[in-house]
Amino acid sequence: MRIPPPLLFPLSLLLLLLLLLPTSHSSSSSNGEDLIDQTCKLTPFYDLCQSSLRSSPSSSSSDLRGLAQIMAGSVLDGANRTLGQIQQLLDRSSPADPAADQPLAYCAELYIPVVKYSLPQAIDALSKGRLGFAVYGITDAMNEAGDCNKKISSGDGSSSPVSDGNMLVMDLAAVALSIIKVLQKSL
Amino acid sequence: MDDATSKSFDHPYTVLGEDPSLVIPPAESRQRPTKVYFGILTSTVFLLSLAGLIVRENPNRAENSIPAAGTAIPESSQDNVRFLPVGEAEGVSAKSYPSTRGRLSFNWTAADFAWQRTSYHFQPEKNWMNDPDGPLFHLGWYHLFYQYNPDSAIWGNITWGHAVSRDMIHWLYLPLAMVPDHWYDIDGVWTGSATILPNGTIIVLYTGDTNEAVQVQNLAYPSNLSDPLLLDWVKYSDNPVITPPTGIETDEFRDPTTAWTGPNGTWYVLVGSRLNTTIGVALVYETLDFKNYTLLDHPLHTVDGTGMWECIDFYPISTNSSVGLDNSATGPEVKHVLKASLDNLKLDYYAIGTYDEGNVTWTPDDPEMDVGIGLQVDYGRYYASKTFYDQNKGRRILWGWVNETDADYDDLAKGWASVQTIPRVVTYDSLTGTNILQWPVEEIESLRLNSTEFEDVFVEAGSLVPLDIGNATQLDISVEFEIESTQALEESMLGETESQLECSVADNRTTLGPFGLAVLADESLSELTPIFFRLVKSNGTLKTLFCVDETRSSKATEVFKEIYGTVVPVLDGEKFTMRILVDHSIVESFAQAGRRVITSRVYPTEAIFDKAKLFLFNNATDLNVTAAIKIWQMNSADIHPFPLY
Repeated sequence: MRIPPPLLFPLSLLLLLLLLLPTSHSSSSSNGEDLIDQTCKLTPFYDLCQSSLRSSPSSSSSDLRGLAQIMAGSVLDGANRTLGQIQQLLDRSSPADPAADQPLAYCAELYIPVVKYSLPQAIDALSKGRLGFAVYGITDAMNEAGDCNKKISSGDGSSSPVSDGNMLVMDLAAVALSIIKVLQKSL
Repeated sequence: MDDATSKSFDHPYTVLGEDPSLVIPPAESRQRPTKVYFGILTSTVFLLSLAGLIVRENPNRAENSIPAAGTAIPESSQDNVRFLPVGEAEGVSAKSYPSTRGRLSFNWTAADFAWQRTSYHFQPEKNWMNDPDGPLFHLGWYHLFYQYNPDSAIWGNITWGHAVSRDMIHWLYLPLAMVPDHWYDIDGVWTGSATILPNGTIIVLYTGDTNEAVQVQNLAYPSNLSDPLLLDWVKYSDNPVITPPTGIETDEFRDPTTAWTGPNGTWYVLVGSRLNTTIGVALVYETLDFKNYTLLDHPLHTVDGTGMWECIDFYPISTNSSVGLDNSATGPEVKHVLKASLDNLKLDYYAIGTYDEGNVTWTPDDPEMDVGIGLQVDYGRYYASKTFYDQNKGRRILWGWVNETDADYDDLAKGWASVQTIPRVVTYDSLTGTNILQWPVEEIESLRLNSTEFEDVFVEAGSLVPLDIGNATQLDISVEFEIESTQALEESMLGETESQLECSVADNRTTLGPFGLAVLADESLSELTPIFFRLVKSNGTLKTLFCVDETRSSKATEVFKEIYGTVVPVLDGEKFTMRILVDHSIVESFAQAGRRVITSRVYPTEAIFDKAKLFLFNNATDLNVTAAIKIWQMNSADIHPFPLY
């Protein structure tokens, strides 16, 4: 059809806007992803940071403090899983060799206060702006996981899922701590 | 354990939480030139008129009469000679402290003063501290409160300082918990205790010194129980909850204890005082809600001649296990410890006995070893101790205040005074059946760095063995000494005359002692602090003295240099063992696995930094010993402010 000349310019402008809209729409969602991307670049484990944050549906619309909380939650999940693995191994262990249990029992003693106190309190502290207190709790989790790892590394290979768990907790904690550090600087 | 019903006090404080205290700026600090930390006594007439005032102001409080005095303990103080703190035998009275006013201060440098600060004991960053208060465990954190002067390194303007730790070793300072900001504590927020109720509520009772220097008991509680750091505290709007009863001096009424349960939801609390100025007394108050109290018509216990009982502590102890007990525990295998800090002597005494739940009285197992005339908690520089039940690990934990023994002006110059001991686990000594055992909490082992071990070290009579261990100012030492059988010794000593039961100085060589360790000693031994055993024949048998000799600990003339000591039971077949924690100017020494403890403060001028050394020694004239010793270097506990934000 023939477009009347006076309408030609406004219509092409409208067409251009319509073409641009999807781009602008995607750039507002990429702002959320940009924040995740920018934040994760500042952490020691970019891929781990990305995958942990993205696995939470709320991360794309979270601010920096929200990302810190999601990450702290991931540390707690990791610690809970690792403690679960430790307790499973202890349940399955043969009573004939109690000495083999000693490193695992030691690790359980390290993880229990971490999942009961350190990490839940750190997560709560983030929501209250007590960032230093959050750093304390997450650092504690990192240290206890490291301590556990030292204890079981002298054992045999059957502890290796626990060792993987410890490493994951330590890495997640390192990511969470660096996000909080960015948050502290931004305030 | 009788679980008190929680019906009568289910969440009573959520209501009170709607009525927070107004905070007004703290009163001007008052400089007190002496280290005696309880107030100057005023005339009796003034006191009585004040008592009258208080009673009239609070018509709802029951007109409490003086409780009946307990049975006077017969003056069998001759028996005390057996257990004389051997400082007294030396002429250095345990009662009086040598006046240091006239003595010139040593020319301390800033580095000297800095060295004196402990590395792994709790002490504030600066200023004065005294009694530990309200210790408790809550939501993963151990809390310590303490008498603290935020303005000066001598006592005054007393507040509750606050610190937390996950392990009772690595402490983090928090803001002050309570300051003097109401008429009922304007002259000082003094000592108090915490009680954790079965539903998790925390209440604190503490002594407030009022605007008229009357001692009253006040209620306080956390403003937010779900805050793991318990930063903010609320004072009950209707404080004080307990005022001095008729017949009790209004300035001799203080230091409420942790509460324990009675029948039908009652709780009991003790407040210390004195009757007729000489009879130490534990007054009992009964309450259902911690707001309203009734004085029982009889005290828990009294002991003639012991004077004012400060910082009373009362707790159950299991006789057949090393597990700690909650304050309300009772049962056939449970005894109760009653402890008091004697104001007259500035010493902590305790006795083990039986609590009668029906009568709410307590009787010592051995009346001759009653509170104030028998065993001391610690035979050194130690006061105002207080225990709490650690529900985290099922232990009874003991805190004790350790004052400086240098001059006030040294404290002002260096800007701080006092430390707390390393917290100790308290258990019943089932081997002797007559005392408690105290031992540093195992968490201290996390500070251990490297160790050096020496086995089968033969230390013959009259010899000195230097122990090459590097740094000797931060140590955890375990040593055991073996000697030939005591039976053989007794036989060989049949002809000998009896000796005085006294530690004496380490240089004094007797037949069977002293032997032990010299800590904080310099190479030339111009300064040293010997810690030793001395076996002495007394009453036909061999007794073992456990001693710390400070007389050569420092060349400074203005510091106290005591000889502390006590007889320690050593059972058949036992070796002579010591555990010693060296931490700069504090040394904690434990004999026979904690059967007796001596805490000591020393201020060497030469034996500091890398000049401090460690020696084994045996100054006996006719006894050889063999020693096995393990020495750990100790890390700093890195105590610092909690970086909350």
